[in-house]
Amino acid sequence: MAYADDYTLNELMVVAASRELRDGDLIFIGVGTAGRAFTVAVGIPIAAARLAQETHAPNLAIYWNNLLSPDLSQIPPRLTQHHLTTWPTSAQLHNCSDKNDMLSRRLFDVSFDSAPQVDRYGNLNITAIGDYRHPKPRLIGCLAQTDHFAYVKRPIVLTDLKKRTFVEKVDFITSVGHLNGGKSREEAGLYPGGPWRVITDKAIFGFNEKSKEMEILSIHPGVTLDQVLAEMSFRPLTPDSIPSTESPTTEQVRLIREAIDPNHILLVA
Amino acid sequence: MKSKLVSMAEAAALVPSGSSIAIGGSIIRRSPVALIRELIRQGKKDFTVLAYPAGFTTDMLAGAGALKRVEAVYEGLFQFGQSYNFRRGVEAGVIDIRDFSEVAMAARFRAAASGLPFMPTDALLGTGMAANNPEQIREITCPFTGRRLHAVEPANPDFTLLHGYIGDEYGNVQFPLVRDADDLDPVFAKGAKRLIVTVEKIVPHSEILKNPNLTYIPHVWVEAIVEAPFGAHPLSCDGYYDEDEEHMYYYQACSKPGNFAEYADRYIYGTKDHWDYLAKALTPERIFALSAR
Repeated sequence: MAYADDYTLNELMVVAASRELRDGDLIFIGVGTAGRAFTVAVGIPIAAARLAQETHAPNLAIYWNNLLSPDLSQIPPRLTQHHLTTWPTSAQLHNCSDKNDMLSRRLFDVSFDSAPQVDRYGNLNITAIGDYRHPKPRLIGCLAQTDHFAYVKRPIVLTDLKKRTFVEKVDFITSVGHLNGGKSREEAGLYPGGPWRVITDKAIFGFNEKSKEMEILSIHPGVTLDQVLAEMSFRPLTPDSIPSTESPTTEQVRLIREAIDPNHILLVA
Repeated sequence: MKSKLVSMAEAAALVPSGSSIAIGGSIIRRSPVALIRELIRQGKKDFTVLAYPAGFTTDMLAGAGALKRVEAVYEGLFQFGQSYNFRRGVEAGVIDIRDFSEVAMAARFRAAASGLPFMPTDALLGTGMAANNPEQIREITCPFTGRRLHAVEPANPDFTLLHGYIGDEYGNVQFPLVRDADDLDPVFAKGAKRLIVTVEKIVPHSEILKNPNLTYIPHVWVEAIVEAPFGAHPLSCDGYYDEDEEHMYYYQACSKPGNFAEYADRYIYGTKDHWDYLAKALTPERIFALSAR
């Protein structure tokens, strides 16, 4: 297994996310708008899920937006409503009731989520910055992100590391992570679980088994601990020895470039 | 069966100001946009919108100053970006917002469709949505397991407004496409006190009889049905036509800096009815480009 010398940051993030996926997983991937937001919400997760299917997880299934098991070798050239509805290669589409029931029956293993605010305990806010009744700005609401954090077994937060994103406490809890740490999530009546990993452009985080505080697991090659901490408004747990995030192999890079995203639809920004 | 076919103006006249309305379709697809435009033209206001993801129609009502409250899972315009008019209203404290997750909002619509006083859900435990809305989200204990749950209030609108593909004069509405399995419009329809449907085309009853399995809104639920070709424009009625990106970019270019009035003067108040709107908003070339082929 040879490590690649030449890979992009997005490819490193794809490989890191792919490593967290297991054979037989049912994965939820949402929608994104354009540019970097699309790459983070859709591009990297889909490439990661596809890479897992091509390597260690051939039986992984993808639910993208409302499309179950779409043929991702044939992504429509334009993602307009008509093109999505008439995409001739997904097993099932546009059935919100089934998707909701699958969520609350806890059939999903992994979801990919991002948010403008993430806190020390992995709670997310996509609803309102500031006072909920007079927000500045008002954000998009909840969508199913709340449900992912309530029901999905191993939610993965995928977002760029920024000081204004990684805050001590979210202004509004849209999606319950490890709440106030310790056993507080279960005490509030939620299922065990909660966010599993936080994958960013600089480092990868998990949550401490006991305290449930965010904890650095690895830092990407070429990035220092100070650079990571400079982009966070709280100090995560930092073990004495922090490994470097494992680089992609030449085979993983080849698969991403030649088989998974040959037309540069996924990793756009 | 009795004919329920009415004009767009007659349908909109049925809906008084202050009503709660559930709007079918989602974000930028297959919503009854022509009917919402007519409500605004008639000066109706103070609406409460109940939606799954709210989108363009809710934003138009906000722009027109006709929106009092929203209960939904999302507000935005998908790839066209933010719902600027709605956001300004919430930020100013003018629009009362009640946020729900998808599982919780679907549970509210199911409660209404089943005629139940509430639906239990565990989706909102620990959330800001529950903390800020004790009126509609209340803690209960499961009588079987003792688990902590929430009871959520039914989403039981005064009116549900839908846009569909084809229907007959009696209000039997069908999907012409086997592929389109959108499933929430019928739930919104069942939970409504009164139901108004606009469709792309009114067909003879004999056409409906050929494929009764495609009828997802039966006549007995419907109070009024309206023929409105391109009735979802500028949104998609996928299978028939795609969203009109140029029109949406213009809408956003007006709405982002707070010039909704410019858009409304051109396409809502500046058009006397749906036919006049179609003449001003579409050309034969544009209809050809948007139509699914």
